[in-house]
Amino acid sequence: MMSLIQIEFFKLRKQKRTFYALGAIFLIELIVFVIAYFQGGAILDALLSTLKDTFYFSGKLLNGNLLTYMLLNSLWFHIPLILMIVISGSITTEYQDKTLQAVFLQPVSKWKFILSKYIVGIVFTIVVVLLLAITSFSFSYLFFGKGDLVVYLGTLNFFDSKDAFQRLVLAFASGTVSMVFFSVLSLTLGIFFRESIKTWIVAALFLIVFNLLSQLDMPFLAMNTWFLPKLNNTWQYFFYFDIPWIQIILHLLILCFYIFITLIIGVRIFQKRDIG
Amino acid sequence: MLKSFNGYSVLKDVSIQCSGGEVCGLVGANGAGKTTLFKILLGLLSADSGSVKINTSHSKPIGGIVEKPSLYGYLNAYDNLKVFGSIQGLKIDKTTAQQQLLKVGLSLDRIDPVKNYSLGMKQRLGIAIALLNDPKVLILDEPFSGLDPLGIISLKKLILSLASKDQIAIIISSHIVEHLFKICDTLFVIKEGEISTYAPTNKVKYAILASNIKESKVLSNYKTLFDDDRVIVHIEKDKLVDLLKNLLQEKIKITACTPIIDMEALFEKSVL
Repeated sequence: MMSLIQIEFFKLRKQKRTFYALGAIFLIELIVFVIAYFQGGAILDALLSTLKDTFYFSGKLLNGNLLTYMLLNSLWFHIPLILMIVISGSITTEYQDKTLQAVFLQPVSKWKFILSKYIVGIVFTIVVVLLLAITSFSFSYLFFGKGDLVVYLGTLNFFDSKDAFQRLVLAFASGTVSMVFFSVLSLTLGIFFRESIKTWIVAALFLIVFNLLSQLDMPFLAMNTWFLPKLNNTWQYFFYFDIPWIQIILHLLILCFYIFITLIIGVRIFQKRDIG
Repeated sequence: MLKSFNGYSVLKDVSIQCSGGEVCGLVGANGAGKTTLFKILLGLLSADSGSVKINTSHSKPIGGIVEKPSLYGYLNAYDNLKVFGSIQGLKIDKTTAQQQLLKVGLSLDRIDPVKNYSLGMKQRLGIAIALLNDPKVLILDEPFSGLDPLGIISLKKLILSLASKDQIAIIISSHIVEHLFKICDTLFVIKEGEISTYAPTNKVKYAILASNIKESKVLSNYKTLFDDDRVIVHIEKDKLVDLLKNLLQEKIKITACTPIIDMEALFEKSVL
């Protein structure tokens, strides 16, 4: 099993697609920084103009914490989309290039092989989010400095710099679980469709529908708790003034359960189907 | 073996066997069921009924190539060997890789990705991968397709060497009988999902060309058909050398000797 995992990492490292994906993520960061640097102040002024009639703002609101929060919001769509493309590609390209046939001409266990792909996909996802977090904090603080964070979630919440940093770190950690869900889902879709384009379209559709449905309030609390699209934005809960810890922990546990179920479905489909 | 896809029977009660050191050919038109049979033999497809029995307890009883060699195009030859070796728990260092590549006539000098390789080189690398972990049976699906004449000759030599030196049972498919005839001990003809004919290739007709062929007395011991400077002789493959020696002793000026494969007859169950 360990050798299968090592080989999956080796293949991931040797493929240009992996580096294009990482490059795309950092390009998004760069664009956000450039826009914020040149137009951020004006945009923020426009957004807060009505409030400025009532409140007095002191200090610099366009700071590293706000920039990191903006980059954190790429967990809504950009990051999961890129992760889904890379991770589903790890199986669909093997189907399309028929290297999967060549693999199973060797004495290799099917479930161990596919499980190693899931494990590598999960580790890759964690590394990507970690890199995103590290670069977001580093470059944001380097170019924009520290300061209080202002976030609008129904109400306008202000957090002092230290508190903001802690909340952002926790949000990245929580967001990682959501990203792992999308990565695992994309691999399962790849196993099901066996083709890159179909998998990417369905993965993107899932992402859009999940984002739309995340705003939907179900009639009962229990339904809200178990409704999958509403679990993927748990990282946002860290920006309520009082952090709803119990809700966050429950959501993350349920999300882990969904990740496990999605993974098991993928392994079972892969095991049952003929490779040829 | 029986196999159908969406109610359409692709294989109908097919049975074949091949011993160690033997080269068996599976010949048939496109769509006859060769690749499906090979995929079942290699465990890529499951048969609706029937089973594959390989008399070995080796961890890798069978290896092969189906349709075309499937390689990681972005990796070089060594890395491909490393990947396919490691997934089955083998430690592939540079020396092992070199030995494996030399066995199939490739060298480690090429360090560029295998997507740049010619089809012949890919076939060879595919065979090197198939031979990892020393399987007792090797299956090659259309190994000659797309190869140039030199590549075909070289691959035939490699196949014969693997069968004779390593005592591997080799099953090869092709829709071109001539390719198989020269290297196979037994030919199976598959037609519409059924083995229509199978027989050893050592009993066949040969055409011998010589200006004075009619002067030969030795030929009177064989079933022959004369046609000007040419005679068609029914003879077993291993007895041909003796016949040619005898003809030379009779001062017969032989200019050619070629096997005659009647394609149509072969497919109609008559020649072999």
